[in-house]
Amino acid sequence: MKVDKDFIKHIANLAKIRLSKEQIDKFTPQMKTILDSADVLQNFDSEKIPQKRYNTLEFEQLRDDKPAASQSQEEALRNAPYNEKGFVKVPGGVIDN
Amino acid sequence: MKYDVIIGLEIHIQLKTQSKMFCSCSTDYFGKDPNTLTCPVCTGMPGTLPIPNKRAIELCILMGLATDCAIDQSIKFDRKHYFYPDLPKGYQISQYDEPLCKNGYVMIREDDRTEKIEIERIHQEEDVAKSHHIVDPTTGLEYSLIDYNKAGIPLMEIVSKPVIRSAADARLYAARIRQIARYLDISDADMEKGQMRCEPNVSIQLPGTWKYNDGKILPAEKSNKSDKAAKLNPKVEIKNIGSITAVEKSIDYEIEWMSRELENGNELEQQTRGWNAHTGETEFQRTKESAEDYRYFKEPDIPIINVSTSNVDTIGEQLVKLPSERENNYIEKLSLTPYDACVIADDRANSEFFDELVSKVSEEISGDLSEAAKLSANWLTGIIFAYMNDSGKKITDINLRLEDLAHIIAEVQAGKANNQKAKKLVRKALETDGNLGELYESANTQVISDVDELETIAKKVINANEKAAQDFKSGKQNAIGFLIGQIMKESKGNADPNKAREVLIKLLES
Ligand SMILES: [Zn+2]
Repeated sequence: MKVDKDFIKHIANLAKIRLSKEQIDKFTPQMKTILDSADVLQNFDSEKIPQKRYNTLEFEQLRDDKPAASQSQEEALRNAPYNEKGFVKVPGGVIDN
Repeated sequence: MKYDVIIGLEIHIQLKTQSKMFCSCSTDYFGKDPNTLTCPVCTGMPGTLPIPNKRAIELCILMGLATDCAIDQSIKFDRKHYFYPDLPKGYQISQYDEPLCKNGYVMIREDDRTEKIEIERIHQEEDVAKSHHIVDPTTGLEYSLIDYNKAGIPLMEIVSKPVIRSAADARLYAARIRQIARYLDISDADMEKGQMRCEPNVSIQLPGTWKYNDGKILPAEKSNKSDKAAKLNPKVEIKNIGSITAVEKSIDYEIEWMSRELENGNELEQQTRGWNAHTGETEFQRTKESAEDYRYFKEPDIPIINVSTSNVDTIGEQLVKLPSERENNYIEKLSLTPYDACVIADDRANSEFFDELVSKVSEEISGDLSEAAKLSANWLTGIIFAYMNDSGKKITDINLRLEDLAHIIAEVQAGKANNQKAKKLVRKALETDGNLGELYESANTQVISDVDELETIAKKVINANEKAAQDFKSGKQNAIGFLIGQIMKESKGNADPNKAREVLIKLLES
């Protein structure tokens, strides 16, 4: 996989993260190292290993459409770093309209 | 128009289930306090497992069957990753390369014109959270508040092929899809409530520069070697559309905007634009992600789901006669105008009411079905729709006995009952939820066409209006209109006006 500065900028853009020039210079080789390690797995020859079929579910085994109680608002917000009036609060510009 | 218009439509519709797509949280989120309908599954807590909702999958398959799609009998879910926090898992469970339904179509109709709009795919996924964007008035800081109650509601995405060639057809197609979803009770598909969302993608191309091939728009082949390879103009996706009419308006705006850009020598960029209903304009939102940015892969937490042919057949038993078939029947078998056919078939309950009324009226008038259909259509789209419109009621809220209504329609048709009065009675029965048959029996709606009876009334009117009578005798023809009016008044509207005129003239000229 080709990992260059443009690639890092593209990912940063998708993640709505602003990176300085220094950060881009720093992260480019780091990201390359990470993805190269993943490539080792990608390139592993699995042809000769017998494929284990995915487990399957029968249609009848699916969940019946019956609602059950949900957790409380307090419980739902417990792990949110910021909240306001019962909502989870996130920085502007990171969410699609 | 200098350009060819090429439109594809992505339509998202929430499925009408009690519980969410992959957990048992209630879907009844409208008007609820924020973040009160979540659980560890739909908030993406580690160690939880999604379990698909059987009813949701049934409804998605039902939509596929209604639009003549092929159904995938081994259902595979995929993860679609993105960075927005509107799904807490960091990905949406969706379907990528193996949609549940594919290669279907619907027919759209406008007057005598029909078009086949092909459907590329219908896939099953989950809805995302609702977010409010806020600018702090003192600091100017922007932030978003997120409510996850809606996150995880079953959603289907219906993708048309890029075969729609005008903004008007896009509107008709969206309306047709909504109609089918409502006919089958798959969804209420209320766009204002966000139960249905339409996202058109639009491009304009010079004629001859493009070709359509197997669901794709491709550059046309070069006609000779010296030609430069044609480059297609990119497409624009429109979001934030809140109504069926806005589908047409926003596309029309976009087409004009794009052609102006091209005429000014500007190059278009693939992008997402948001429709602003207040200004009637689209605004730049963002450049679009490409499919690879979503890093799709198979959802490892959900096994492949086997759907047997008998499962599909059982689901198919929920199919009903659909709007386009009804329209065709009305036009071809009952000789209704395409306009009336579309108006009546638009709603399933209205259409079923109409069918019953036609059969009852045809028994009463012993005429042919077309005659009964024409009468029934007039009464239904006239007085009954007017009442529904004024009262906000649905046809299913109305308790008229169809036998009574059919009887009155037949009496008016035969000239035995006064049209205006009969309609007023029906209106009264509707407004008071009264018994139309009894009201009709006790009301005096019989047309007076008996000559002796009319003569008695006419004499009384002449005596009371000597001047008008004199005017007529001295040649003022329009005085007769006044006298007929008096007879109608005297007879409480029941006199046959034509007979009354004859009787009057005879009396005055004698
Ligand atoms: Zn949940």
